[in-house]
Amino acid sequence: MFEKAIRETKAYYCLECGICTGSCPVSRLNPQYSPRIMVERALLDDDETMLSEREVWDCLTCGTCSARCPSTVDFNEFTRAMRIGARESGFEGVDTHAGILRALMELEARRRGRRDISWVADDLRVSSRGKVLFFTGCLPYYGVVFSELGVDTVGMANSTIRLMNACGVRPVVSRDERCCGHDLYWTGDRDSFKKLARKNLKMIEESGARTVVFACPECYAMFSQIYPKFVGKIGFDMMHISEFLVSHVESGRLSFGEKESRVTYQDPCRLGRFLGVYEEPRALLGSVPGLELAEMPRVRSEALCCGSSAWVGCTRINKSIQLERLSEAADTGATTLVTSCPKCNIHLSCAAKDKDTDGGIEISFLTDVLSDALAGGTES
Amino acid sequence: MLDAGRHPLIELLAYSQVERVSRENGGFHVEITRKARYVDENICNACGDCVAKCPTKVPNAFNMNLDERRAVYLYFDQGIPSVMTIDPDYCRYLKDGKCGVCAKVCEKGAVDFEQKSRGATLDVGAIVLATGLTVFDPTPLTQYGYGKIKNVITGLEYERLINATGPTGGHLNRRSDDQLAHRVAYVQCTGSRDLNYCDYCSSVCCMCSIKDAMLGREHDPESVSYIFHTDLRNVGKWFQRYQTRGEEEYGINFVRGRVAEIAEGPDDNPVLWYEDTRTRKVEKLMVDMVVLATAALPSPDAAALGDMLGVEVDRYGFVVTDDAAPADTSAEGIFACGFCKGPCDIPESVAQASAAASRASELVLSGAPVGKR
Repeated sequence: MFEKAIRETKAYYCLECGICTGSCPVSRLNPQYSPRIMVERALLDDDETMLSEREVWDCLTCGTCSARCPSTVDFNEFTRAMRIGARESGFEGVDTHAGILRALMELEARRRGRRDISWVADDLRVSSRGKVLFFTGCLPYYGVVFSELGVDTVGMANSTIRLMNACGVRPVVSRDERCCGHDLYWTGDRDSFKKLARKNLKMIEESGARTVVFACPECYAMFSQIYPKFVGKIGFDMMHISEFLVSHVESGRLSFGEKESRVTYQDPCRLGRFLGVYEEPRALLGSVPGLELAEMPRVRSEALCCGSSAWVGCTRINKSIQLERLSEAADTGATTLVTSCPKCNIHLSCAAKDKDTDGGIEISFLTDVLSDALAGGTES
Repeated sequence: MLDAGRHPLIELLAYSQVERVSRENGGFHVEITRKARYVDENICNACGDCVAKCPTKVPNAFNMNLDERRAVYLYFDQGIPSVMTIDPDYCRYLKDGKCGVCAKVCEKGAVDFEQKSRGATLDVGAIVLATGLTVFDPTPLTQYGYGKIKNVITGLEYERLINATGPTGGHLNRRSDDQLAHRVAYVQCTGSRDLNYCDYCSSVCCMCSIKDAMLGREHDPESVSYIFHTDLRNVGKWFQRYQTRGEEEYGINFVRGRVAEIAEGPDDNPVLWYEDTRTRKVEKLMVDMVVLATAALPSPDAAALGDMLGVEVDRYGFVVTDDAAPADTSAEGIFACGFCKGPCDIPESVAQASAAASRASELVLSGAPVGKR
């Protein structure tokens, strides 16, 4: 049943060199999990037994293996094909958070109702139609689930809008927006993902937007890399908030006030390895006077994943990866770990909380850090 | 090489650039720029008095910039012709008109600051291309930390370190602390057999790393080596025996598995992460030094040279030759040998050179103009 996946992911090119397994953050901790052996078994027609195994759901889809693979095998897509097969054979992953997040996504794929946007702070300016649209993704919903971790995703959405306002842009925030489908796509739920994609593209068309700005790299990667494969050409420009803001900093329209601190930066898998956006978030942090960026040893294309993805799997292994990353971050001497992906923020905050390290490193979202620097800088 | 330098029928035009080649009178008319050495080739006997006194230090490209040479220099010890050259980018006299100490100490009066680059022409019956190779820069493979982790070096850098005329006098000293490296890991296929970089096998690196590891043991009885490989491609007479000898007598451990990542451990020790594909286990290994066996590429000018000569080169820049006549290029009267036509080792290059020379002399000695054979 894997012939198509083997062909499309170029798994038949595999040299069995072991770079994937040696690179995989999961394999380093869990000897049962090996991307190379999964490919080998698929090539040896052992896929039927594989589908029922727990390991199908262990991949973080961080893309480190594929980025290094000398045969350019797309192991993420290979994993997705396995997950589609597993679902069709009646095997599911373990949903984290009691399945509430998956229920939310599935609900958005099915229901007709509109989103509530009363979360937008009173002092911010948004519109219902216009040239620039801010795709909020799951940020408005996650607040309910993750506030106990001290992660304020609604605040992240608001700080993004605040920064766009500071650039003189009043973005569209649409009530007809839907989940981008990222997690459903990577866990093998094709149908729901396609429904979401179609609804989102229709919403953007109706909004009149020519540019869509994302604060979440997962949404950005889905729109720019996955949607075109399933729904055809995309007729608008797409950019991450960091790319959007950098152009305004360069033109002198946006500037920040003094903010003394030493921070380090987590490259999200989607924004980094998937989309190649490494410099813009760093340039933004660098444009805040007094803010010093201390880099971890593994950065950019070599960055370690935040340890979990698509809300399948939250085990000792995932936690160990997160703690490893947190200790790398703390070793830089930074007081704050800045992330530009809400998921990294949630996962690392959760690990930090579990670890219960008082006085440990603080985890902040990029737009929150920048928006704070804005308040000091522009109100004078 | 010295034989070629001394041969009465061979005229060497080193430190020269071929500018244009045209077909004339059944042969080739070649226009050449002979770059100014600022030293008279006919007088200089490379005694080295000028080098001893030259005050200007310059990164030594021949030693992979691991040490410094002077502005007046001999490119390398066994090089031919054995004459000094003054580097105009660094020489104080040529730049500012001050110094000139080399001219003062040269007892033969070989230094000539007034020398100018000059044109030369040659009319020849046949051309042999032997432009050789260059090596892949491993910096883009950021997972290996080359340029960032001090004790991760390339094979060519290793060759200079282990060489008696090299920057450390033949001691395998680490870049970080100048201490002897005992445990050395070789990372095969760095950039080779990799669809992202060079999709071909560079063919010489497996034997080269075994040789390097053996040299390491000869210089240091405590030396232990690890060669991480995809599969060992030691194809040639006695090559398998050489590999076995390396394993049995020279402390070489062959590990089947390509290195995934190199991290920096304590004391500047590189730490390798890899899957040993025989045991199917992910392991890490800390060593004193890592040597990247980088891919070999055709010379960067090969494609431009091909254009100038009307010689077909492939998408990598290798000169295309006919399978049935392996020294013949697509242009009549132009032959090729060595790495410029594809990966090959030294014995193979020597054999190919003989073949190309034979084909060229066949043509020239027949007396027939090209195109009328």
